[in-house]
Formats: sequence, C-alpha cells, structure tokens
Amino acid sequence: MSFRLPNKLVTTIVGSYPYFPEALKAFQLRKRRVRGSEYEELVKTAIRKTVEDYLSAGVDIVSDGEQRREDMAVFFAEELKGFEISEPVRIFDNVYYRKPVIVDDIEWTHEIVVEDWRYASSISRGRPVKVTLTGPYTMYSWSFDKHYGNMRNAILDLARALAREVEALVNAGAKYVQVDEPALSTRVEKEDVKLAGEALEIMVGKLSNVKRIMHVCYGKIERLFPEVLDYPIDQLDLETKNSEYRLLKLLREYSFDKELALGVVDVHSSRIETIEEIVDGIRKGLEIIPPDRLYVKPDCGLKRLKRETALAKLRNMVKAAEKAREELA
Amino acid sequence: MEINAGICGNFPRPPELRKALDELSSGKIDEKELNRVFKLSMRKIVELQEENGLNPVTSGLLLWHDPLRPFAESFSGVQLGGLLRFFDNNFYYRRPIITGPIKREKPITVEEVGELSQIAKTQVKAVLPGPYTFLKLSENKFYQSEDQLIDDLIEALAAEIEDLNGLADIIQVDEPSLVDPELSLEERRKGVEVVKELIGKLRVPSDRLIVATYFNLDPDSYSILLDLKTGLHLDLCSSRDKAEEALREYGFKGSILSLGIVDSRSIFPETPAEMAGKTRKILEKTSAEKVMISTSSWLDYLPFNEAVEKLRILGRTLREVASS
Repeated sequence: MSFRLPNKLVTTIVGSYPYFPEALKAFQLRKRRVRGSEYEELVKTAIRKTVEDYLSAGVDIVSDGEQRREDMAVFFAEELKGFEISEPVRIFDNVYYRKPVIVDDIEWTHEIVVEDWRYASSISRGRPVKVTLTGPYTMYSWSFDKHYGNMRNAILDLARALAREVEALVNAGAKYVQVDEPALSTRVEKEDVKLAGEALEIMVGKLSNVKRIMHVCYGKIERLFPEVLDYPIDQLDLETKNSEYRLLKLLREYSFDKELALGVVDVHSSRIETIEEIVDGIRKGLEIIPPDRLYVKPDCGLKRLKRETALAKLRNMVKAAEKAREELA
Repeated sequence: MEINAGICGNFPRPPELRKALDELSSGKIDEKELNRVFKLSMRKIVELQEENGLNPVTSGLLLWHDPLRPFAESFSGVQLGGLLRFFDNNFYYRRPIITGPIKREKPITVEEVGELSQIAKTQVKAVLPGPYTFLKLSENKFYQSEDQLIDDLIEALAAEIEDLNGLADIIQVDEPSLVDPELSLEERRKGVEVVKELIGKLRVPSDRLIVATYFNLDPDSYSILLDLKTGLHLDLCSSRDKAEEALREYGFKGSILSLGIVDSRSIFPETPAEMAGKTRKILEKTSAEKVMISTSSWLDYLPFNEAVEKLRILGRTLREVASS
C-alpha cells in the first residue's frame, strides 16, 4: 500500500507503547522460558494492536511498540551472547529488578528484533516502521561487568554485536534505525561522549539510504555538545517538552544542522496536551530548525502511560502537526 | 596505626525479608511477624560481617527504604514526596517535602542500634543522614529562611546522635552532597559549614565520628572536606583517578579514615592482593590514627549474593594488609 510521508513536520514516536495484555502474558511465558508459537502469537497480537493505534492516531513513522521487550536493557542482554541476568537489585522501597551481567565476550548470534520489524511493516499500510535498539553505552551503563573490567572494550564489543543486528535489519529493508542512549544524559565524562560516538560509528557509521537516529532524554544532555554534532547520525531525537524546550537554545548556539525529532508531549504526565499547546511547541522548534528537518513526536517511549492516554496524546500531536503545516502553507 | 575493616552503610535485604515486606503490604502477615523476620535477618547480616572479620559492624539498615526515609518519615514537619534518582544511581528515594517546622519527636534509629550493640560481638557503627544532604535532597515548602531550616535540621539530627552516642562505638554522618559534582564548589563549601555547625553541637569525640562522602571524590572537594577536621569516609572507586590524586595532593591527618576501596557499585572481581596494594599505597600518604578498609558506599546497588562476596573481599584485604 502506498503512503507518502509529508514533506514537512513528519510525525513519529520514540519506540515503546503501553503494553497490551497479550504482551504482559508473553512476558510471563518468557520468564518461564516458554517461547513457542503461543508466545509468538501473543507478541504479534500486541504489535498489531500497537500499530493499529498508531494508524488510528495518524502517526507517519511507526514502531512495533517494543511489545516484546519488558526492559530495554535486559531484553537485549537476554538475546546477546555473553550476558547473564543478576539476582534482584533494589530500585526503590521494596521493589527490585534484575540487571544484566556481562560474564563473557559479547557476541551477536541471531536476529533479535528483525521479525518484529518485518511483522509491523507488513501491517503498517505502507508507513515506515522505525526500529529501536538499546545503545552500547546504555547497555554497558545498566549492566554489571564481571568480564571486561574495561568500559571501552566492553562498549566497542557491544557496538560490534549490535552492528550485526543493524545489518540484519537493513538487509530486511529497515530504513529508520534508532539507537537509544538514555544513559548518556546521566553523569558522563567527555571521554564517555567520545566513546559513545565511536560505538555509533561501528553500529551505523557506514550505512547509506538509512535514516540513522539517536534518542537521548532526561538529564544533562548539554554535556553531549559539541561532540554529538559529529556523531554519525542523521537525526537527533530529544526529550524537549518536559524540559520546557531549553535545549533549543543550545541547538541554535551550535547551528545544529541535523534533523531534529522534537518531543512535544510529556510522557511522564497523564495530562493530555491541547492541540494549541503542542502547536506552540512545534513553533518553538521551527524557530531553530526548518520544517523539512523537524520531526514531531513524544518526549520518550509511551510505555508508562495508560493506553487511552497515550493514544489521546498521539491524536492531538498528529492534529497539531497538521495545523502547524497549514500555518506554514 | 590501627587498621580495621567494615562496610560503609547498609546491606541488601536477604530474600526472606524482601518476601516478608511484600507479605506485610498484601496483608498476609502482620507487623509482629515482620519484626520476627527482620530481627533474624539483622542477626544474619551481623554474623556475616563478624565471620569475615569486620569490626565495626552495622545493623545493615535493613528496613530503611532509602538513606533518608526513617528520618523523613519520623520528623514532624516533613512529608514524603515522589521518587527521585539518588545521585547517579539507578536507585530512587522519596523526596522529603518540608511543610512545617522540622522537629524530632522521638528517637528514630536508637532502638535498632541498641539491638545491634546487644547482638554484636564487635564494635558497632550507627549511620544517619547528614543535614546538608538532607537539605539538598528535600523540597522546602515552609521555611522562608534557609538558615532557620538548617538550624532546625541540625538540632533534630544532633538530638538523635546524642542518643546514639552511648550505644554506638562509631557514628557516621552521611554527606554525599558535600562531593556532589552537580553542585558548585561554593555550594559544597557551604555544605561543609553546615556540617561543621552540626559537629560543633556534638559531644562525640573526633575518633568516633565519621563524615561519609561517596559517589565522587576530586581534589577540590577533598580540600574543603579537610576543613571538617573529623573522621572521613572516602569513595575511592567512583571518580577514576581523581580520588587518588586528591589524597596524593592533600594527604590525611586526622584520627579516623575510612577508605572506600572495595567497589559497592560493581561486581567486577576484586582480588584481596590488589585491594591491599591500593590500601598500602594510600596509607603512605596518611597519618590517621585509625584506618578502616571499607566499601565505597552502601551495598544497596548490588544483589545480596554479590554483597556477601564484598564482605569476603573486605575481610581478606584486611588480613593481607595486616600481615604485611
């Protein structure tokens, strides 16, 4: 089915979508290491429902909603060779999570999200499907290292392993590849920023005819500048609504010339932003970035919201982008 | 120079206590049953420390939901807010919201430390949050004057320390904000003044009092920490080479120095020989009367089994250092 992206203010999402009951059931099976046809069907149903929501909201570039992934780091750790999963570690109060542990050289052994991308693409009615991968710096930061004892070696091995997944995705036809690096906005040193750039070079540096995107959010994103300007990416995907668009000033100072995916709805708030409020946000972006390079999307993944809230936010976001396009016409 | 080993702060909850806390929330057990499991757990943690030759020991702070919580829950004038990231960890604390005059209405950790001192065969260490970190991690919705807030906070904490003084051999005041790289040096300097004010009110001798900093140590922060003129706990694992640079530059002259040399946020294998080598190198730069080989910070960031491993490393490092 043919679908043409608008030539300005393309709407998209960051990656995750609220989990459908089928996804939650699939997590339970996965925990019991059951991965047969029932498991696959549950994941597919969850992906289908996600894509249907995106289509009903009118989002231009969609995703699989990360319905197979309960946790963005643990999921890839379970699929790559070289990882184990730890005993519980506290996250707050009496709530615990299991953390990936690097116990051996990290290697890619099989396709991880290719099938989900393929399935989402088959039902997206021609709309491009963006694929999201947890980046090497974040994978390392959110894991225990029992094997390398050297951040650089571990991150570059992670990048080489994930590059194999990127290659498989591109061979399958993926045109939008996003590397998620939320850990880059925490307390990073300059050498970390450079290392993350080297890792990206390994993962996506040589790709052509593929939109290379990096997503980063919440924290000291300023610290990535100016190095991030030389990252081998075409698009920087930022959380901006929650931080009141303060990063735009920085982008202006650096004469930012990549594409910008602008966060215009807050994923940490259940309040549905009004269309006018979102248009205001888009106008702020347009002061810095021309409309053909400005993408409109939520701040971050939507998985923590209720489905109805996420959908309502997306609907208003799409209407706001339409309105902003009309203003430009 | 007297050398010992001990953990910096808490110990992860054993699985049975985690389960009991969940069961209490869902109404499957009552407070009495929880208390029974808690006491057994505390005994277990104390024994684990003692078996590994640690001295002093802590209670493990097993019921503390976060490093501020027992105080944020108990002080009048303070309510609990939302979850916020605890420094640069994937661990979250509930932000204290100050809504009225801060007052310590009753002892907070005294019963737990009393119990610890009864079951421990060694010396015991009491741990509590310092006023500056409490201030920086809270939201003030009440005080017009920050000075008044600080005075009240100091008074409340000093009263608790006064009650702990007779029960604990070492009292540790945790002040990670004093070395927080997110704060300006000016703010950190102000923090040191706040802690000095607290220390001025205490009757704890300087060889029994430690101000603990962690998650960072750099030469600038360290030089102002020395102004405290008290015992210090330093994290030697979180700042790459900067911590050793700080000690090399400024040394340490004081009564008690706790060296956070065993990494409490990593499980990369550490050998006692390597840890002992590091310790000896640092000891060349210090003339502390008492030195404690310690974990870099609390052990909350590790799974239970890995934290037990850290106790072994501490004990074996101590033996290695002592035998040389």
